[in-house]
Amino acid sequence: MTGTRVDIDPQQAGRDLAALVLTVVELLRQLMERQALRRLDLGDLDDGQEEAIGTTLMMLDRRMDELCAQHGLRREDLNLDLGPLGTLLPDGA
Amino acid sequence: MTYATYVYAVRRTGGPEIHSPGHDGGGPVRLLPLGSLTAVVQDVPAAEFTEEALRQRFTDRLDLERCARTHHRVVSAAAAGAATVPLPLATLYANDVRTKVVLEEHAERLSEALHRVTGHVEWAVKVHRDTAVPLLEPDADADADPPAASAPDEPATGREYLARVRDRRATRERRQESALDAVDLVDRVVRTVAVASVRRPLHGVELTGRDRPQVMNGAYLVPQDDERLLSAALDTLRQDPRLSGFAVEASGPWVPYSFASVALTEGVGRDGAPA
Repeated sequence: MTGTRVDIDPQQAGRDLAALVLTVVELLRQLMERQALRRLDLGDLDDGQEEAIGTTLMMLDRRMDELCAQHGLRREDLNLDLGPLGTLLPDGA
Repeated sequence: MTYATYVYAVRRTGGPEIHSPGHDGGGPVRLLPLGSLTAVVQDVPAAEFTEEALRQRFTDRLDLERCARTHHRVVSAAAAGAATVPLPLATLYANDVRTKVVLEEHAERLSEALHRVTGHVEWAVKVHRDTAVPLLEPDADADADPPAASAPDEPATGREYLARVRDRRATRERRQESALDAVDLVDRVVRTVAVASVRRPLHGVELTGRDRPQVMNGAYLVPQDDERLLSAALDTLRQDPRLSGFAVEASGPWVPYSFASVALTEGVGRDGAPA
């Protein structure tokens, strides 16, 4: 990169960093969700546990919405393009 | 001023002259004979085409676009008269002598590529999913409520939330499968007309728009005489109910860039790889 044509805006850089951090958090959240569904499918959770896990994940999901709103991001902004590997998070959740 | 030799394309010797302006600041586009092959070249100011200068210029979208369009225009003009192997953007050698040495080293592969593309054109076939069209339900459940996932209200309990996540996951998997099926169908049909095909990387939603993600980006080498078969095949595909919710687009005919690539290694300074 030649540098001369890159427009460095501190506010934009801060937003990009927030998006990156939230993307990683979102990845972990989705992994937890996936794991919860798998355990549900295996049937090794009782109703109380299912409700507790579901509630926790729901709270996390809402918290993500709030965090995104705080940083002026949309949920679909949280992703990384890994080129030939596709995107980090599956699209259109 | 020092000039370098910019090579646009290689043809068989004996084609017509090319009347198309080349890159700014250079000489006229001319033919450089190399035995049975002829290179389509232009003298360009060497200082504007060094590796460093090009890297600088190509970070500027407008400059890159201008260069690419000029390159494409000259290649197309060359291809209008005879079978042509296009070379990558910014293929340069120090002078005509160097150009001859390198191209003659690769004469055999260039001839093969010419043979492959003679009488053929390239068509691009792209498939996009139209997100406005709902997915076909796999079976039954026709009388169930319309998609619960779009319900605006928040899930009240943890179990409801999990059920919703599961639905979304299932929808996504169905969507992926339907896209794979659509791509497979389009590819199979188009390949009945084409003699070769390549799959290129998908364009991201930044280019296509979020509501019409691309699911296939292919290039097909089609015999010139069979172009009508191709458009008939595409028309049939567009009527196919299995492709409801997908848009099939084709563009062409193009100079067969995707099927004529010959890696020209060992050039002076540049090896002909695109910047």
